[in-house]
Amino acid sequence: MAAKSYMRVENVVKKFGPFTALDDVDLDIAPGEVHALLGDNGAGKSTLIKILSGVHQPTSGSIYVDGKKVFFRNPRDAAAAGIGTVYQDLAINQLMSVTRNFFMGRELTSTFGILRMDEMDKIAHEEMKKIGIDFTDPSQAVGTMSGGQRQTLAIARAIYFGAKVLILDEPTSALGQKQQMEVLKTIKRVRARGDIAIIFITHNEIHSKLIADRYTFLALGKVIGAGTKKELAGEDIRRLMAGGAEMADLEQELGAI
Amino acid sequence: MTDRSESDRLQQENWFQRTVRRPEIGAFIVMMIIIVALAMASGGKAFNALGLKNNVAIIAQLGIIATGAALLMIAGEFDLSIGPMIAFAGMSIAIMLKWGLPFGLGEATPFLAFLITLVMTLAFGWLIGTIVVKSGLSSFIVTLAFWFFLRGLTEVCFRLINQNTNVSGLPDFKKESWFAEQMGGEVFGWFFDAWYWVGNKIAAGIEFTSDMTKSEKIDLINYLSFLNINRKMEQWVTGFDARLLWFIIIAGAAWYVLARTQLGSWIYATGDNKESARANGVPVNRVKVGLFMFSAFCATIFASCQVFDTNSSDAAKGMFKELEAIAIAVVGGILMTGGFGTIVGVVFGAITFGLVANAVFFIPWIDGAWFRVFVGTVLLAAVFANERIRKRITGGI
Repeated sequence: MAAKSYMRVENVVKKFGPFTALDDVDLDIAPGEVHALLGDNGAGKSTLIKILSGVHQPTSGSIYVDGKKVFFRNPRDAAAAGIGTVYQDLAINQLMSVTRNFFMGRELTSTFGILRMDEMDKIAHEEMKKIGIDFTDPSQAVGTMSGGQRQTLAIARAIYFGAKVLILDEPTSALGQKQQMEVLKTIKRVRARGDIAIIFITHNEIHSKLIADRYTFLALGKVIGAGTKKELAGEDIRRLMAGGAEMADLEQELGAI
Repeated sequence: MTDRSESDRLQQENWFQRTVRRPEIGAFIVMMIIIVALAMASGGKAFNALGLKNNVAIIAQLGIIATGAALLMIAGEFDLSIGPMIAFAGMSIAIMLKWGLPFGLGEATPFLAFLITLVMTLAFGWLIGTIVVKSGLSSFIVTLAFWFFLRGLTEVCFRLINQNTNVSGLPDFKKESWFAEQMGGEVFGWFFDAWYWVGNKIAAGIEFTSDMTKSEKIDLINYLSFLNINRKMEQWVTGFDARLLWFIIIAGAAWYVLARTQLGSWIYATGDNKESARANGVPVNRVKVGLFMFSAFCATIFASCQVFDTNSSDAAKGMFKELEAIAIAVVGGILMTGGFGTIVGVVFGAITFGLVANAVFFIPWIDGAWFRVFVGTVLLAAVFANERIRKRITGGI
């Protein structure tokens, strides 16, 4: 791809005691691109995104943001560098309103901590509308929203608070069919802005095919395949998803039981 | 594809529907029933001049601690140490007033006695909160430990310093100290002055005559009590207890903080899901510790009003008050699981409980223990109602 990369991960190794969670991982993230990170459970996806979002620190290797080498000591450092992570649990409070969730922990206040509620309502409404939800009542409790809408709220929030790299941790995994499509649409809209790089972690081959521009496959802590959509044939993706095992081998194994 | 979107599925409601679905509505209805029932059963006596004053006194008293308990519950924690904290603070103030400041620093003024006590209770609140957030233990068990600790400590201090488990017969500090007057004196005298002024106009020409029978006299006294006039034809009640003002200040501030400030958002976020609050940068631990201190502050105000009102204190003060405060909060619509509720509901709850607690004075044939039967029943009903509200909100679409 011609796009200039915004974030680059080089030779990252992460060890937890004797256990090597990630071994020599490279990753290239460019704005306006959806980068699908695929792999089976235990492949190291979670460890990798935790390193990118500052929760864990790499044992060795380096991360570059905007050409500069960075070291994230904590999630705050990562957020300051423009890394916005939307976890599976979304960090959303069900009983609170949309607006209060949107600004949770980063409320707009005037003197004495008084909330600028009208302004916050307006911003929350506009930001969510930009990526696909026109919700009517900003004082609506998030518990009354669908899973897809919550996902959108979390994404809109991350973008509003300055995310240049948006890490989406299995955003479609716990949703129904229709809501999955809504989330994919949301991701497409974010991609269309052109200034945000998206890391899309998923189990789902179909979803990744629908929206990803570039792929990285992890298995047992190593990158077993990477490339753009064009470079990888459809059959390849399925094989890599299964951790490098051939579908035929699997069939054989299953047949033997 | 149609133009229908997810948000269309949330029905738009008009003003009335919104009001009916408010979480405080249950507390409001119970309160109205109690007000009407009490007025009828007492022949109106519960709301004559003295009746109103006495009812408001206990409502304010319960409301002060219930506000502290409610904020803490919204943030997802309990405080069982409210009652013992009241006893401790009352002991501390009364003993300083009687025996002087600690370390022989001389006589204690009411304000100094209060201030030193407040420093101690806030320190206890801080300690309780810090233990809860650092250990990750349930606040139920930590504050239960402090329930015993403070109850015991209060009695020990009484015996060691005063050789008795109470202090009584203190001089009436309200006469000389402005501060003591604000705690134990009267406020809003204009309300009763105006009542008397109007009553006087209505009662013009009425007087007690020697040919009246005893029952006629009782009827007349009863009638005059609604005009704020006593049997000597003078003004009967001169003001509300000062704790009403404290209740208004504390509940008003708590309402404002919850509804309008960043701290309020943090309190809700902390109680709703503290992990997600923390992930978004809410200082969860500081919020909790601060609210344990606020609860201790409310208990101290409660105790201070009591000491300067009665000029006495004893080790049994504040008995069951922690449970009543929690019950009021729950009846007021605060969820046991935190993250939801309003101060308006708590005020309704406090009014309901205050009226029922006092009912025995206005309805002579009723057994005072019915109060607890009522509390138990309403509490259970409220928990069910709250649970329904929680499910409605978190059920999702």
